[in-house]
Amino acid sequence: MNQTFPIEIIISNKPQARDPEGETIARDLMHKAGYDCVKDVRTGKLLLAKIEARDEEEAKSKVLAMCNDLRLYNPIAHTITIRARN
Amino acid sequence: MHIDAELIWHNDFTSPTFDAAIIPGGFSFGDHLRAGIIAAASPATEIVRKLADDGKPVLGICNGFQILIEAGLLPGALLRNSSLKFVCKWMNLQIKNNDSAFTCKFERASTARMPIAHNEGRFFAEEEVLNRLEAEGKVVMTYAGENPTGTSRGITAISNKDGNVVGMMPHPERASDSSLGGTDGLKVFESMVEWARC
Amino acid sequence: MLVGDLQTTLTPEELEYGRRHLGREPNALEWAMIDAEWSEHCSYKSSKTILTQLPTTGKRVLLGPGFDSGVVDIGDGYVLSLHIESHNHPSAIEPYGGAATGIGGVVRDILCMGNTPIALLDSLRFGDITKSDHSKWIMKHVIRGIADYGNCIGVPTVAGEVEFDECFEANCLVDVACLGVGRKDELLLAQATHPGDSVYLIGGSTGRDGIHGSTFASRTLTADSESDRSAVQIPDPFTKKLIMEATLESNNAGLLRGCKDLGGGGLATGLSEIADKGGTGLDIQLETIPIREADMTPIEILISESQERMLLVTKQGTEQVLHDIMRKYGVSFARIATVTSTGTISILNHGKLIASLPTSFLANAPIIQRNSRIPQLRKPTPPLKQPIDIHQTLLALLASPTITSKEWVYRQYDHEVGIRTVAKPGEADAAVMKLPNGKLAAIKVDGNSRLCNLDPYIGAASVLAECCRNVIAVGAEPIAFLDHCQFGDPNDEEIFWSFSTTVKALADFAKAASIPCVGGKVSFYNQDEVRRTAIKSSPVLSVLGLIEQPEHVTKIAFKDEDDSVISIGPTEAEMGGSEFNHLLGIGDGEVPRLDFELEIETQRSVLECIRKGLVTACHDCSKGGIGAGLARMAVAGNRGAKIDLRKSGRNLADHELLFSESNSRFLLTTNKPTELIQYLSTRGIPSADVGRVTSDALLVKMSSTDLVWSVDALRDAYCNSLQRILEPWQK
Repeated sequence: MNQTFPIEIIISNKPQARDPEGETIARDLMHKAGYDCVKDVRTGKLLLAKIEARDEEEAKSKVLAMCNDLRLYNPIAHTITIRARN
Repeated sequence: MHIDAELIWHNDFTSPTFDAAIIPGGFSFGDHLRAGIIAAASPATEIVRKLADDGKPVLGICNGFQILIEAGLLPGALLRNSSLKFVCKWMNLQIKNNDSAFTCKFERASTARMPIAHNEGRFFAEEEVLNRLEAEGKVVMTYAGENPTGTSRGITAISNKDGNVVGMMPHPERASDSSLGGTDGLKVFESMVEWARC
Repeated sequence: MLVGDLQTTLTPEELEYGRRHLGREPNALEWAMIDAEWSEHCSYKSSKTILTQLPTTGKRVLLGPGFDSGVVDIGDGYVLSLHIESHNHPSAIEPYGGAATGIGGVVRDILCMGNTPIALLDSLRFGDITKSDHSKWIMKHVIRGIADYGNCIGVPTVAGEVEFDECFEANCLVDVACLGVGRKDELLLAQATHPGDSVYLIGGSTGRDGIHGSTFASRTLTADSESDRSAVQIPDPFTKKLIMEATLESNNAGLLRGCKDLGGGGLATGLSEIADKGGTGLDIQLETIPIREADMTPIEILISESQERMLLVTKQGTEQVLHDIMRKYGVSFARIATVTSTGTISILNHGKLIASLPTSFLANAPIIQRNSRIPQLRKPTPPLKQPIDIHQTLLALLASPTITSKEWVYRQYDHEVGIRTVAKPGEADAAVMKLPNGKLAAIKVDGNSRLCNLDPYIGAASVLAECCRNVIAVGAEPIAFLDHCQFGDPNDEEIFWSFSTTVKALADFAKAASIPCVGGKVSFYNQDEVRRTAIKSSPVLSVLGLIEQPEHVTKIAFKDEDDSVISIGPTEAEMGGSEFNHLLGIGDGEVPRLDFELEIETQRSVLECIRKGLVTACHDCSKGGIGAGLARMAVAGNRGAKIDLRKSGRNLADHELLFSESNSRFLLTTNKPTELIQYLSTRGIPSADVGRVTSDALLVKMSSTDLVWSVDALRDAYCNSLQRILEPWQK
């Protein structure tokens, strides 16, 4: 029986690539205002998709296949994290 | 028209002995996180806040408008254009209100032509806020005809309650030379001089 | 070629040359530096001897090819600098970052001269977007990359062109050009001339991104290219803007002796080139280079192509002032080297010498002589048999991607920032920018791959002629040009023949027209191994013109009813390489001839007409012929015209009259037709009064038919087609 699962897709720059937006937010907004506790900021794009599937695993693998097929991210520059929202 | 002007560096705070302030357009801090949010926290923004509180004319153009909103000097929010693309185009504008520091030299309900150039120019606020702005005459300019960004009710410039602080998405400084497309923008600066004199 | 454990692009001959010249075996670090500097992309080893044919001197030329940008003197103490760059290979696999960093690169080259960038141009080539989703994807992201970067740094993108052909499906071409302005007495060169001076590295940190970028650009794309992750660069226009301001302020303060952009080959090439140009050496302290990842090896540090980095050569004693300026803008800086008189590039790591190469050896790759072979000549096609619906064909041409309005593209570019743009995209044949001395600059970029594919010689000369016509049409005198030669694998003898023939054509026309080449680039290896296709020959040219008086600026729109429409230059039955042929699927044909003398005399005469105040609108005839030309003028002016084309060409079929792309032609409007035609005839230029501007439709009388198009129909085909193809869901 199919259910609907909320699946989060987070697209961000690969860890070894720079994230100028994250760097600017950390340096020019957070550190400037005194928040030294912030060591690093990375930015990304969040998509929350409700996926119909038999179970959570199937939902996640459908999403991964779709992301690759539709080029929702560019594997050259981006990394994606797919997880179920609870 | 001759006006003495000084460029103030964002990190500087000096005693505000000025008659007016203009925050120009641009891409402060690369528009990172949200256009205008990082610049709104700059020391120089405090000069602008002091001048605004003192009733002096303060104009935010494009990114400047975004900064005034993020600094809490104007209501609402400026979201990404509904086409999801940057738009650079000369637009027909309607002057809705000539009670503000930057439109007092325009005829009420007259039209003007000025260019826009932005990614995040879709003005948004709750319905009650929009109603209030319109009722109080705080909507200063709207697009006449085509609405290129999906901005609520065609709104492209608003003012604060006292009319001395104005934020506008179109660029009057780019419409101040007939060889570049038109001179309707000059009236914005003439208005400022007029207001500052009174 | 593997050298020990190191993968390089060096040939056995180059390895032998290296060993022989040095008298020893270079170590791995030294080989890596040689590999970067001697890559095709950085050294021009295949093309240098061919390029020497181009004329590079002229009364206004201060700096020709060989420097980061060409520089011309425009009087009153001011100079203009111009440069063109490509990011073809990176854009083919990561179009957003590839295109954006292309803009970053070309802007740095202008900055290096101490000039302020004031205009950007883009010349793009993609596959068939009416059929390929991949090409649509590439196109949208390339344009967004250029827009985001150019808009953010506040330099207007004011002109460009986009061409579409199946050959670019896997190998898009992304060319960007930049124009800068500055004071002559503040001109900087990319050289380290004074021993004792310091070399600073400013801007972004050095990381593992972009490693092997220049060698990546010097190889064809393969199935592995998609996983060539390290070759991608991350754009950071905010940092670039800070660097621009900091560099210009440092130069205005008189601190700088030289400035160099770090692009292909990173520090290895940047450092060797400034020393070579200055005739000096450098002692480089590796440990002073700020790196992003602590475990980077010396090789990785020296060949990294991390973006947004520049080298500043500062006068001894000015270091503290420089530090203050850099701190004000929040730009990272590090003193990494000292200029010496040793003539050697020496790299030390905590005092220990790890590499040492003679400057001129490193900076000057041995020339490769390549073979060329003339390809099989193409045969002209037989004349068309079936009848053509001319009415429909004009609309189809106006809607075809290469001809159609690129408004969808340029609306995303801030073309007004800087308050200098007098002629904006879509208004005139070239962009026109105000200059600080009251004059105006006209600038345009052009290419025609279909024509160059059929005949490299005529094709290349025609592109240069067309680009000059575009600049003339706005009232400017062409004063310099840039050439960007883009081809497939130079090891292919036929491709190499196309390249050398292209350069010969450019040289011949440029000499005849007295226009010097002040810079350019050569980009080889635009080829896809998987599908076994090379791009069509794609020389892209940019011409710079100067307008002395603002009143001379001329646009294309039909202005006043009853203005006479004049057709200049004869139309001939030469459909080869035309957009009409492409639309009908005809791959071959007689290419338009180019009579150098007639072309040059026609251009000069039209410019004189403009200067005499005889012209109210002017448009050069090129892709889509007179038909497309008239349509554009009508749409721009929101007016029609009543035209009789029988006088513009003899014994031609209707489709030839309307769509032939013969050279040396202009369309213009005037309210002084008698004076204009009289003047042209004294100069021996054929012209014909072909009609009048009207208030409504475009009526064209031809040999066999009379046709009418409403301006609305023309506008819909011309202005809305690209949006329909790319974003069919948008209203």
